[in-house]
Amino acid sequence: MRHMPPAAKDLSPSPVTIAVDLDSSIQSLEALDAAAYRLIGTATCQIDRVANRYVCHLLASTSPQRRGVLTPDDLKERFLNLVADENLRARVAGKTEGVRNVILALAFGSLAANQKDAG
Amino acid sequence: MTLPLYGTASLSAGFSSDKARSVIRLRAVDSIGERHASDFGLVKTPEELKRAAESNWSSIFVVSDSSIQNEFSESFERQLILVPRKFDYLGDGDVLGFDHSSRKFRTLFRRNSAHNSLLVTERCNNYCLMCSQPPKDVDDRWILNEIKESLSLISPETRALTFTGGETLSDWEDFIGVLRQCRDRLPATSLQVLTNGRAFANSQIVDAWRDIEHPNLMAAIPVYASVDSTHDYIVQAKGAFDETVLGILKLKDRGQRVEIRVVLHALTAPIIAETCQWIARNMPFVDHVALMGLENTGFAVANDAMLWIDPMDYRDELARAVDLLAAAGVNVSVYNLPKCVLSRSVWPHALQSISDWKNGFVDECDRCYERKTCSGFFTTGRPRFSRGVHAITS
Amino acid sequence: MARFLAPEAFSAATEAISLLPFNFERTGTQQYLVANMVGDFIRLTEDEINKLIDLRATPGDGLYEKAYSAHLITGSNQQAQRQLLALRLRSRMSFLQQATPLHIFVVTLRCEHSCPYCQVSRQSTDRSRFDMSEETAMRALDIAFASPASRIKIEFQGGEPLLNFSLINTIVSTAKVRSASLGKKVDFVIASNLALLDDVVLDFCKSNDILLSTSLDGPADLHNKNRPRPGANSHELATTGIRRAREVLGPDRIGALMTTTEASLDRVDEIIDEYLQLGLDGIFLRPLSPFGFAIKTKQFQKYDAKKWLSFYERGLRRVLEINRQGTPFREFYAALILTRMLSDRPIGYVDLRSPAGIGLGALVYNYDGSVFASDEGRMLAETGDNAFRLGNVDRDTYESLVLSDKLIDAISSSLTQCAPECSTCVYESHCGADPVYHHATQGDALGIKPLSAFCARQKGIMGLLLDILENSPEDAAILRRWVS
Repeated sequence: MRHMPPAAKDLSPSPVTIAVDLDSSIQSLEALDAAAYRLIGTATCQIDRVANRYVCHLLASTSPQRRGVLTPDDLKERFLNLVADENLRARVAGKTEGVRNVILALAFGSLAANQKDAG
Repeated sequence: MTLPLYGTASLSAGFSSDKARSVIRLRAVDSIGERHASDFGLVKTPEELKRAAESNWSSIFVVSDSSIQNEFSESFERQLILVPRKFDYLGDGDVLGFDHSSRKFRTLFRRNSAHNSLLVTERCNNYCLMCSQPPKDVDDRWILNEIKESLSLISPETRALTFTGGETLSDWEDFIGVLRQCRDRLPATSLQVLTNGRAFANSQIVDAWRDIEHPNLMAAIPVYASVDSTHDYIVQAKGAFDETVLGILKLKDRGQRVEIRVVLHALTAPIIAETCQWIARNMPFVDHVALMGLENTGFAVANDAMLWIDPMDYRDELARAVDLLAAAGVNVSVYNLPKCVLSRSVWPHALQSISDWKNGFVDECDRCYERKTCSGFFTTGRPRFSRGVHAITS
Repeated sequence: MARFLAPEAFSAATEAISLLPFNFERTGTQQYLVANMVGDFIRLTEDEINKLIDLRATPGDGLYEKAYSAHLITGSNQQAQRQLLALRLRSRMSFLQQATPLHIFVVTLRCEHSCPYCQVSRQSTDRSRFDMSEETAMRALDIAFASPASRIKIEFQGGEPLLNFSLINTIVSTAKVRSASLGKKVDFVIASNLALLDDVVLDFCKSNDILLSTSLDGPADLHNKNRPRPGANSHELATTGIRRAREVLGPDRIGALMTTTEASLDRVDEIIDEYLQLGLDGIFLRPLSPFGFAIKTKQFQKYDAKKWLSFYERGLRRVLEINRQGTPFREFYAALILTRMLSDRPIGYVDLRSPAGIGLGALVYNYDGSVFASDEGRMLAETGDNAFRLGNVDRDTYESLVLSDKLIDAISSSLTQCAPECSTCVYESHCGADPVYHHATQGDALGIKPLSAFCARQKGIMGLLLDILENSPEDAAILRRWVS
């Protein structure tokens, strides 16, 4: 069969996609989920577990209004920044959960009405 | 000119040794009305001496440099005190504390002064770098007793009284008792209590304060920074910031009136905008904020190298601080700084605040348009003048 | 000899410092915007934020001072900051103690305009079966006065409420008697297009202290295009009405609101000038309402948000310019956000709260007695979606309406404090839930915030305000004066 050139040019841009993998022994899944959530509308994220790695397949959303093309490297950087931030959030939450509950109790709990020692 | 509030009598007679001190009140020799047992006729001239005898004054207080010993022995049976002429400012209604053995006396209350301050104790649990009344670890609880005695002698028309120290709440139960007596005997007199506020971190104490139910009582509490380590360093007491702030919160929780004071020096002035921003954001419910120029006396002199800053060098920060508080709806005043070193935007907040007995001006001030409403300067300690002092003539 | 200790004596060991809760957002390379538990903002570098989390901050290093003042760190054994944060949180949430201050009475559906974006069905003026009955009104008043709030506001809407002026009269007099006997305060507002404003109405408003609120979308051509009416003179009637009302009632007794449409987006300067000319003291630059348009795809909504944000920014800067030139004039939405950001005073605005203001902030009594959780909820029902219809004045009480599963579900599922992304958002303390919007545009009360134009707008406005507060001192001073 002779090679036939395509009858028409396919003008749809090839989908921007990239895979990012992280060490599952030090990276929490919750943080990845949270990062993926923040990317909704920009990219979809499918997370697979392969051996001791999380493999995140990112696929940039296509939209007629989207201006500027996100390169695969942009997308990866964006995702990794989001993951780093979620990891940071997890650290902060871990260290502040206790005192947060104390403050909420002081603010809204029955302690607030009792003047004895809570103030 | 600093008024001498302390002194030693040249002569005294009729004071027994079974009591160490007496509280006495001076009355004009012609004054009518009931005479209290502690009242002394006030004599400054030979004519008044005669009138004192005619009016049957049995105790007299003489202000004179001359020796008039002979004239007394017959006319006056009870008590006599003679003090030098420099105490000529004393007048009708003034109250003094007098030590029998040493003949030392101190003015407790002056009826024609707007700035009456009762020292409660010299003990304090802070040790501020700039303290104008350096703490002493002494048992001076007798002072509160003397104050109690004075209360019945102080005119009920007195508009305001300040309690100062040391830390006024050092003997809080006794002191709160004094405040209760003020409420009863001087119901129309507003009270201001200078305190580091740390005692109010204790709910028992702040509840007792609330229970006085005084109609016009204000706690004036210093906060020097928005950071614990900075404040604690300035007051030289670890944990002071936490207790002081907690104390303020508890006072306001019980509906009590609170003024926050910040003394301005090299450690507090450069950060004054941040401190006031913090107050505006965190405690906008305080009744007043007073930003105060430094009195260069006491520890402030010892720590001069660390603390001195020319007000011209914090002029902008101060203006910003005042602006931040005013924008947040907080009442703010500036004390103890002459108008020539203040930005004009601060002038509406600048009050004449220096106690009359230690307030003065310099020659330059004679030509100044703003003198009448200006704070002037402290005459105590080692006055240091800003390079910016000048007469405002436009 | 007096002995003074050096600053080092007043530092806490690392073990003695604790982290306090905070949210953050990356704003640039190694730059973070951080907010503490009550929404105070501070900017930190990546290095600083890491040091902070590891508690590697010491008095004297600058970071300790910044972080302590901003309540990001505290002494482990200290109490004051915890109490301070609790106290401030309680202040910020104290609106919860005054449940349902706003009660909207849709006294008629009749109206002589035919505005394209108005979802309220237009009935011609002679069909009185679209008027609220007195019986319904009285039952609605029972419910309104059963709310715990010590001060309520009754707002008359429609259609054009003045077409049922006699009922307004009845409601006002009954409400005044009722409130006096209950020891409550009541305020009244009539939201009217002012076409029917006459001396009778003005006298009535004056003697009963009633506020007027009208629509003014901008200059005549824009306004009239949005609000067609037989005679095509809606703008003229509105401006004449505003002038008259200002004269008779006083300048602060009439306000105007604009509705933003696509056509408004390029004309914000003219719109503001229109308000200025009439002597109004400010403008509320409102977002495009989703209720007047077909539901769009999620991306398109976000694109809308970008366009709307440039409209808003341009408008805000124009307003600031007007202030710099010497005329006090506010942008009211910015004023609300600034009050949240710069003070702990709760705001009366029910549409930016979490827990959401539906039901808890406002109840809407429709002409037919049905009760809705918000005005937008009523508009949704006109398209057949009853998600926010809570009940009926004949069958329900205040409690049964506000404690209904429908309302509780919508409020609890939309709480920003618990929502993904919202709960960790740096702006959360100053934001709110909008369950009706998210239901209308995404199909659920919470919504996926990365797809939400509401979220994009909120972030955009707050980012803009912060930028001005931090970088433009003269404009910042103007903004600070707007804090109530």
